[in-house]
Amino acid sequence: MLTCWKVISNMKGSAGVSNFALNYFTKRNIFLGRVDNIQRSQVLWAEPMKKKKRIDPAVVKAREERRKKKLEKQIRRLERNAQQLKPIDECEIPLNITDERDIRKRENVPLPENVLENRAVLQKMWSIYKQDHHLKDIKMLDRIMFSQQKALDQLRLESEEFYQEAIQTDFHLIPFSSQGPVQTPAIDNYEPPDGDYLDISKKWE
Amino acid sequence: MISYKSKYILKSFINIHNRVNLSAAAENSVEKWDLITAVCLERKPVIAPEPSKMEKEFQDYLSDLELRNSLKNDFELRNESEIKKIELLKSGEVDLDSDVTLKQTAQDFIDASTEEAMSFKLAGRTTANENNNRSLNRKLDKHLVLLVKQKIGNVHHYLLPQGPRQEGETLRQAAERILKTNCGNEIKAQIYGNAPAGFYKYKYPKSLRTEGCTGAKVFIYFARYLQGHLPNKDVDYLWLDRQELAKTLPKEYGQSINQFLVDE
Repeated sequence: MLTCWKVISNMKGSAGVSNFALNYFTKRNIFLGRVDNIQRSQVLWAEPMKKKKRIDPAVVKAREERRKKKLEKQIRRLERNAQQLKPIDECEIPLNITDERDIRKRENVPLPENVLENRAVLQKMWSIYKQDHHLKDIKMLDRIMFSQQKALDQLRLESEEFYQEAIQTDFHLIPFSSQGPVQTPAIDNYEPPDGDYLDISKKWE
Repeated sequence: MISYKSKYILKSFINIHNRVNLSAAAENSVEKWDLITAVCLERKPVIAPEPSKMEKEFQDYLSDLELRNSLKNDFELRNESEIKKIELLKSGEVDLDSDVTLKQTAQDFIDASTEEAMSFKLAGRTTANENNNRSLNRKLDKHLVLLVKQKIGNVHHYLLPQGPRQEGETLRQAAERILKTNCGNEIKAQIYGNAPAGFYKYKYPKSLRTEGCTGAKVFIYFARYLQGHLPNKDVDYLWLDRQELAKTLPKEYGQSINQFLVDE
């Protein structure tokens, strides 16, 4: 504080400092003294260090070893399972069936010539039938898409804003799911026989 | 399809041409249209349609083929061995075995199963409401479309539920509102997408054209019926299949609806 005063009074004497500058320096509450005037107190919450517990190096070694072994075992198990694929029972022919193939064979009566001929014709007709079916489907889809495009074009003519809103994706429909139709309709007031469904499929980890 | 496109291109070309020639006056007299949203609510078939003759024949052929190429199963083997045993018993070559007589034979099991299957009654393909076109429980193998009686001008028509768009809502929101106001809260439906599936426009009669509005553009949204029923009172409605639709709707209107409906 003292030094500061000195400077200012000197300045006042020699160069004629304005009142504003004087007020500015004197009214501020900033400590302008020397730094070594500040003292800090000791840190009081420190405590003496605990004595380190001595462990037998053999025990430490054993512990390390156990941990290592455990990890290795896990890795080995993972590696083994990576090779092994989940079996698909339906695709594997049971052994007893391959063994009894001769017993299980059907003695089919060979079909007469005209039946075979009819079947060959039927297959050809069927492929034509399905091709027509497919073409019809494509035409139908084309027609539906064209109808929608026409509606959108007309909408755009009326209002660009509505058009932009209309072409947004509807996320309620994703993922899409649909049920039916079924072969026979549901029976009214049908009471199913008692019982629970039990899932007996094997769990694979 | 091509003819429509070329017509459309031609039309827009003419429009541009006119505008250029007729200067600003033409801009003001551009036709104004009312925007109307309609909803085509359709019920999916409940049961699959009857297979065609070709499909039936091919199905029979495939199942016969599959049977011929298959191996006998355990049950068939058991049945065969039992039949053999019985024959041996009858001919007296083997002594009477008490085990065979006591247990249920494979043939017995087949008979019992057949009897049980015969006594089980499946629901029929047709219902009692087949001719009641207000019922949803009819024509189970057909698509049914909802029509509601509405007043257009001074005449009542059976049309898709429709209404004008209100301020501040998108066309899709308008479609949802129209479905609610026309069909009540009980019915549940899923509108397919934000874009209209079909379009139809008509001009008002000359006497009714006000404030330069020449007609209405109807944007038709497609919706799938999920569950619920319409209120029995208040609303005059019909559930119609494709043929009935063609008979009931005005011709051009029906055609533009048929544009986006799937074939049967």
